[in-house]
Amino acid sequence: MKLGLVIDLDTCVGCNACAVACKQWNTSGTTGPLTDFEPYGKDPTGVWFNRIRNYEVGDYPNSKTVHFPMSCMHCDDAACVTVCPTGASYKREEDGIVLVDQDKCMGCNYCAWACPYGARELDREDGVMKKCTLCVDRIYDENLPEDERKPACVMTCPSHARYFGDFDDPNSEVSIISRERNGEQLMPELGYEPVNKYLRPREKKNVDTYVNETNSIKAVKDWVNRLVAR
Amino acid sequence: MDQAFKRKSYSLKSSITTKGISVPENLPQFEDHSKQETKFTTCYMCACRCGIKVTVEDNLVRFIQGNKNHPINKGVLCAKGNAGIMKQNSPGKLIQPLMRKKGSERGEGDFEPVSWDAALDYLTKRLDNIRKTDPKKLAFFTGRDQMQALTGFWAQQFGTINWAAHGGFCSVNMAAAGLYTTGQSFWEFGDPDWDRTKYFLMWGVAEDHSSNPIKIGLEKLKRRGAKFVSINPVRTGYQAIADEWIPIKPGTDGMLALSMVHVLLKNDLFDYEYVLQYTNATQLVVHTPQEMGDGLIYRNEEGQPLAWDLEKEAFVDATLAEIKPALFGEYQTPEGKTVKTSFTLLAERYLGDEYAPENATKICGVPADMIERLALEMAHVAFEESIEIKTEWTDWAGRKHDSFIGRPVSMHAMRGVSAHSNGFQACRAIHLLQVLLGSVDVPGGHLAKPPYPKHVCPPIKPAKPKAPGEPLDGPPLGFPTCPEDLVIDDDGNPLRIDKAYSWEAPIANHGLMHMVITNAVNGDPYPIDTLIFFMANMSWNSSMNTGKIRDLLREKDDKGEYKLPFLVVADAFHSEMVAFADLVLPDTTYLERFDTISMLDRPISEPDGVCDAIRAPVVEITSDVRPWQEVMVELASRLKFPAFTNEDGSAKYKGYKDFIVNYEKTPGIGFLAGWRGKDGEKSLRGEPNPKQWEKYVENECFFEYKLAKHERFYRFANKDYLEFAKNAGFVASTKPITMELYSETLQKFRLAGLGLYGGPQPKDERDQYRTARFFDPLPEFYIPLEQRCTSIEEYPFHAITQRPMMMYHSWDSQNAWLRQILAQNYMYMNRQKAIEMGIEDLSWIWIESKTGRIRVQVKLMEGVETSTIWTWNAIGKQRGTWGLDADANESNQGFLLNHLINEHLPCGDTGRPITNSDPITGQAAWYDLQVKIYPAKKGEVGVWPSFETIKPLPGSERSKEKLRYQTHEAVGLNRSLKDILTRGDTKRDK
Amino acid sequence: MHPALSVIFFTVTSGAGYGLFAITCLYNSISQSHPLGDEGVLLSCAIALGLITFGLISSTFHLANPKNAWRAFSRVRTSWLAREGLLAILFYPIAALYMVTIWKGIGGYNWLAVISMLSALWAITTIFSTGMIYACLKTIRQWHNALTPINYILLGAMLGGLIFLFIVSMYEPVITGLVVTSTYLIIIAAIAKIVYFFWIGTPAGPTINTATSFTRSMVRLLDVGHTAGTFLTEEFGYQVARARLIALRWLVLLFAFAIPALVLWVGVGLMPISVVFAIAVISGFIGVMIERWLFFAEARHVVNLYHGTQQC
Ligand SMILES: Nc1nc2c(c(=O)[nH]1)N[C@H]1C(S)=C(S)[C@@H](COP(=O)(O)OP(=O)(O)OC[C@H]3O[C@@H](n4cnc5c(=O)[nH]c(N)nc54)[C@H](O)[C@@H]3O)O[C@H]1N2
Ligand SMILES: Nc1nc2c(c(=O)[nH]1)N[C@H]1C(S)=C(S)[C@@H](COP(=O)(O)OP(=O)(O)OC[C@H]3O[C@@H](n4cnc5c(=O)[nH]c(N)nc54)[C@H](O)[C@@H]3O)O[C@H]1N2
Ligand code: SF4
Ligand code: SF4
Ligand code: SF4
Ligand code: SF4
Ligand code: SF4
Ligand SMILES: [Mo]
Repeated sequence: MKLGLVIDLDTCVGCNACAVACKQWNTSGTTGPLTDFEPYGKDPTGVWFNRIRNYEVGDYPNSKTVHFPMSCMHCDDAACVTVCPTGASYKREEDGIVLVDQDKCMGCNYCAWACPYGARELDREDGVMKKCTLCVDRIYDENLPEDERKPACVMTCPSHARYFGDFDDPNSEVSIISRERNGEQLMPELGYEPVNKYLRPREKKNVDTYVNETNSIKAVKDWVNRLVAR
Repeated sequence: MDQAFKRKSYSLKSSITTKGISVPENLPQFEDHSKQETKFTTCYMCACRCGIKVTVEDNLVRFIQGNKNHPINKGVLCAKGNAGIMKQNSPGKLIQPLMRKKGSERGEGDFEPVSWDAALDYLTKRLDNIRKTDPKKLAFFTGRDQMQALTGFWAQQFGTINWAAHGGFCSVNMAAAGLYTTGQSFWEFGDPDWDRTKYFLMWGVAEDHSSNPIKIGLEKLKRRGAKFVSINPVRTGYQAIADEWIPIKPGTDGMLALSMVHVLLKNDLFDYEYVLQYTNATQLVVHTPQEMGDGLIYRNEEGQPLAWDLEKEAFVDATLAEIKPALFGEYQTPEGKTVKTSFTLLAERYLGDEYAPENATKICGVPADMIERLALEMAHVAFEESIEIKTEWTDWAGRKHDSFIGRPVSMHAMRGVSAHSNGFQACRAIHLLQVLLGSVDVPGGHLAKPPYPKHVCPPIKPAKPKAPGEPLDGPPLGFPTCPEDLVIDDDGNPLRIDKAYSWEAPIANHGLMHMVITNAVNGDPYPIDTLIFFMANMSWNSSMNTGKIRDLLREKDDKGEYKLPFLVVADAFHSEMVAFADLVLPDTTYLERFDTISMLDRPISEPDGVCDAIRAPVVEITSDVRPWQEVMVELASRLKFPAFTNEDGSAKYKGYKDFIVNYEKTPGIGFLAGWRGKDGEKSLRGEPNPKQWEKYVENECFFEYKLAKHERFYRFANKDYLEFAKNAGFVASTKPITMELYSETLQKFRLAGLGLYGGPQPKDERDQYRTARFFDPLPEFYIPLEQRCTSIEEYPFHAITQRPMMMYHSWDSQNAWLRQILAQNYMYMNRQKAIEMGIEDLSWIWIESKTGRIRVQVKLMEGVETSTIWTWNAIGKQRGTWGLDADANESNQGFLLNHLINEHLPCGDTGRPITNSDPITGQAAWYDLQVKIYPAKKGEVGVWPSFETIKPLPGSERSKEKLRYQTHEAVGLNRSLKDILTRGDTKRDK
Repeated sequence: MHPALSVIFFTVTSGAGYGLFAITCLYNSISQSHPLGDEGVLLSCAIALGLITFGLISSTFHLANPKNAWRAFSRVRTSWLAREGLLAILFYPIAALYMVTIWKGIGGYNWLAVISMLSALWAITTIFSTGMIYACLKTIRQWHNALTPINYILLGAMLGGLIFLFIVSMYEPVITGLVVTSTYLIIIAAIAKIVYFFWIGTPAGPTINTATSFTRSMVRLLDVGHTAGTFLTEEFGYQVARARLIALRWLVLLFAFAIPALVLWVGVGLMPISVVFAIAVISGFIGVMIERWLFFAEARHVVNLYHGTQQC
């Protein structure tokens, strides 16, 4: 299996639901807690696996605002894993999920340096690297109802901008949608072969205009009453 | 919850997987589900009220997720809803009742704890006295609540007319315009038909109460390839994904809509039959300029409106079926008066040149060809791409139809339109556009949500004062249809403390909460004794001119007594408002209480289903707080309100739950519509069911009654639906609901202003002018009031706010997760414009209005109209509140725009000050603000103004440097040493 | 990139240590009679090992969870950091063997040649792997090139050479050949560094457009989506004003290369010889420290594209 996400930039409204869902699930999840610093003070910050950034493409008045959620891409050629000296970072053979073994990490940050997508964040309190687990502790938890065995971020997304599935299966939702809508990798030139794909905004719709050729009403008297029953 | 759990670890052997996502072998058990419980309730991180499923472990919340069966959110959850854990965890929670310390000054925030008994004894005594002498000396105003049915009923029973919820400063323009035009509205009143619409226009919406449903809906549109056009000066959030963005100048939507109307009329592109059959377009309007009765509907002796029958060539009762009324025309009545169909007046008006796109563009800044194109695109979709749903239905006159015809153009509008002083008319203009396209309550169009549509307008009048000790005859708020309905004294002076239903705001359906403090302190129209605020942060983000309001709250008379003698604040958190309270009554969080989302209130219905819901506690209360609902019922019993008291004087209800289950508004109709009847077998109407709560809890805390297929559209004229609605108590009659494009109600007020009305008329010249000018019976555009007295050269920018999707007004700054996303707001402006003005990105600037100035940090962007500046609403906080440290970003870099907005029109009039609101509805005109901006001097950094630091409350926990929330020890997933040593690359073995 | 002092110390001192060790060995195997004598060689080696050890210890200060540092050798199969660690650790027994060989005078000439070549190569390979730790990162264009390991080796050798000169000067009067070689080394290292400065000056590498997949229009960051800094902005967002960077580059050229070269060239004879070499060493160290700081400060991680940088 090659598990990963598809993010639809055509429908993401930047609500941050996925980011917070990720936070709440994972803080009690397999790599939890996700420490927060200065939670009620100046410059609050903490460990997040999923962050939403916002960009503007083009200039006013033709600019387009784009909301851009990013989490681990579970890259096929994950340099974050190859560089890790301890072997704490690994890509699971069975499903391609990239994980950090919290017991083995020495907190050298090297993997974060190797990650182009900013997907890894050091938990300074635990001294170990943390990252998106693709909710491994949800997707395989047989005690959860079957339709809830999905990443928390995918389940929660109100505008259905996130899809989860197996890219090895050509008939999976993620395979189909990324095929149909030309799912793109970010910074493909780096060769990480990120598994997650991004769907660019759909083409602008064209709607015909309706012009009543025969008519150009100038004043009320131009109208003729029609016989219509109330 | 500063827990540092250790980690358990398991090793993982390789696993076998085949097709799909099968579960690998040898995975550890990540959670001990046997220690967990899942419970359902209703979210209240905002007023959208989604259904949630909460996993609880040791009275700690493990996970909150959307309830997939819930009609509102269908399983999804927004950012706020996902952050409920951190609301429950907030150090800003109130934990016990508090009294202002003797000798301390109001606003200092110096409190001492009191017991609930002492607090309620004191309050009962005080209220009892007021009730028996002059009940209107109690003003009770509620903010972000959704339990107005209870609070309003309570006020009615108390006998005070001085009650309202927050609608007046929120979006009453939207609600009122809808209810006075189509009998429904946007907002909680109706939704686009997300599943069928092909063309969607969104006017001035950043987030709305319909938070998740809009997001779900927009995605559906995109998936189906419908076109989404957004009209908004700012391109963020929803506007980001619009197919077309129309950066309109704030306050000019009315003109844009009417210009589109112009284009449609000019091209003869409107739904002729729809307009004729379902609106008052054919009703005849008396044309006798400068005379009494001018502009009123021409009626027969029975008071029925008349139309001109083309076949009979005679005046006929316009409400009858099968007549063949003229849509256009001018006729002479036997009495010799000239009458015209209202549609004639309408067409004459909007065919006028001032509405031509070439002229409209000068006002709204939208290019003329674009206005024209958008109108013609909508016409194309409505008339060339119309849809049909094959279902037999019966219309109000008993005629059978075999399908519903749909015009798949829909719209949604909110505060961008309504929070202007011309918002009521602008909203009406949008409804007019919808009606011309034949798209109201039709497939693909805009669908009402039960209990809407209602008759135009609902037959409830605002209550007038009664003798002390007696309940009011009806609810304090209602729908005036003529000057006689105003709540004024014989001299024409306001009777309500907020001056709602006075000449200053005649159709103030939701009151004017933003005027209460100012009026009460100024004794204008009279001083009051006690003010109760529930769930409203009135000394901060929900007041205009915040600095002044804070001073007013502290103002004393010559004798050294507070002009506002006693202030009760019922809140759940340490908000800015708390410091000003004399008595603080702490509420629970939403996860700790019972609550109802009732059909009598602002329900959660969907277009095709009648829905209501409850909240049931998912965690136990751990401090000395009580649900405000409980407190209200208790106070009602203590004060012996008739509806809460048995004949023998004993309390009728044991508590809130008992009240909800057993109280009947009219026989068979109570707060909850589900599982009524003795055994719970009846829906909507039926005698009380003692097991009703349990039924709700069993059913995941909500109730949904799906309308039959033939009851889902054209409900304003759908016989089966109307009969159903009458039985359910939604409407008072089964007569068809006639949409009022031409509003006789407005014309009556206008006539009063002109001195041509046979009832109460305004005496003050300005009231005369305002009613005569703004109460146009046809939707009209006028320049917003503040601009009418503010030089655009001197104050060239429109300053507005938007709601951020991940923050709810003031109350999410206490949330450790959400504030990491947004704890500081900037003033955003157009990059090119800033460059022209020499303003640099992230520099500090002054923003100055006629009312004052603030210093803020600016951020440049592309997606904002050039004369608009904007910021996120309610991010700025007073130091020390909300459980935050004094150096929190919210208090030192975050700011409020409210300081610049005046609650009175800044027009320098010498006469009595006039509210900065829509002259028709009293809707707070937040977005009329005009400002100038200039760079701050070198060294001038940091926000200004800033206020004193509030002390922590007694017993409050200090905030921590670190937060490590976890409900159980993490179960780690380990990589085997063998794998570490043997595997070569990252990839799987192919 | 955020320049962490621990890492700067690590790379500079251990680099100098390996350089010194390698030069000591090489010199020993090339020149028939070592000017230092066995004692001098041992001293030189000890100093080298001291520098190396100081560097390695310093590097552990960079670890957030040093108790797992011992695991750092696990992934030599793929990780340059693991390789570097392993090479560094294995260097100790080799160095010890070399030193025992010198001390005890065991083995013949051939053995000495073998062990000194081995030690020297090992030392250089270790510096090379230190360089590769950085050079292998595709995410940082300024590092991801052959000049990185070359620079590491040259600067390590250069510093080692200068220290070596200083040590030699305690035993022997000036050996012109050595001074000349050192000067050449300085010049070559300087050239390599200057080439590097020019090379990283030309914009190349991923852009905000490829990062976001919007390749046809200008892309600008509107909001980062968090109030305060994060691990990412702290680790990668480090940015210094362009003018300051340029000034620092001049300081690098001045301290690391110009001053040492100049004192070697004109200082000998003007001042006591040990003062000359001491100036060269100190100046060289200062210069290379600045160079190393710049190596980090000038490196732009591609994640910055997501925070608004147009090109890295
Ligand atoms: N500049 C500007 N100002 C605006 C607006 C704007 O767009 N721009 N919008 C206006 C609008 S539409 C509105 S509705 C108002 C909103 O303004 P408010 O109605 O004042 O809303 P909040 O700021 O959310 O404050 C509500 C209070 O409810 C308290 N609270 C939260 N949960 C509970 C609970 O469970 N129980 C109790 N008892 N209290 C609770 C909070 O602590 C807070 O003190 O702001 C208005 N002000
Ligand atoms: N996340 C979140 N959700 C909320 C709330 C919250 O605080 N946070 N508050 C709730 C409440 S009380 C309310 S009332 C609703 C309000 O929901 P909205 O109506 O969506 O609220 P606003 O944020 O005021 O959005 C107004 C929008 O109108 C635009 N606008 C301003 N002036 C004009 C104009 O003249 N013309 C047009 N076309 N657009 C204009 C603004 O740019 C902004 O995008 O949201 C509710 N939902
Ligand atoms: S939840 Fe969905 S819409 Fe919201 S930010 Fe995440 S991806 Fe975008
Ligand atoms: S996104 Fe980063 S952390 Fe995730 S697999 Fe790719 S390189 Fe590794
Ligand atoms: S931080 Fe941890 S996971 Fe990352 S490279 Fe270092 S040891 Fe490996
Ligand atoms: S898959 Fe899970 S861990 Fe990854 S971003 Fe989504 S919620 Fe977070
Ligand atoms: S929109 Fe969000 S905060 Fe509001 S009720 Fe729904 S989940 Fe809760
Ligand atoms: Mo509101």
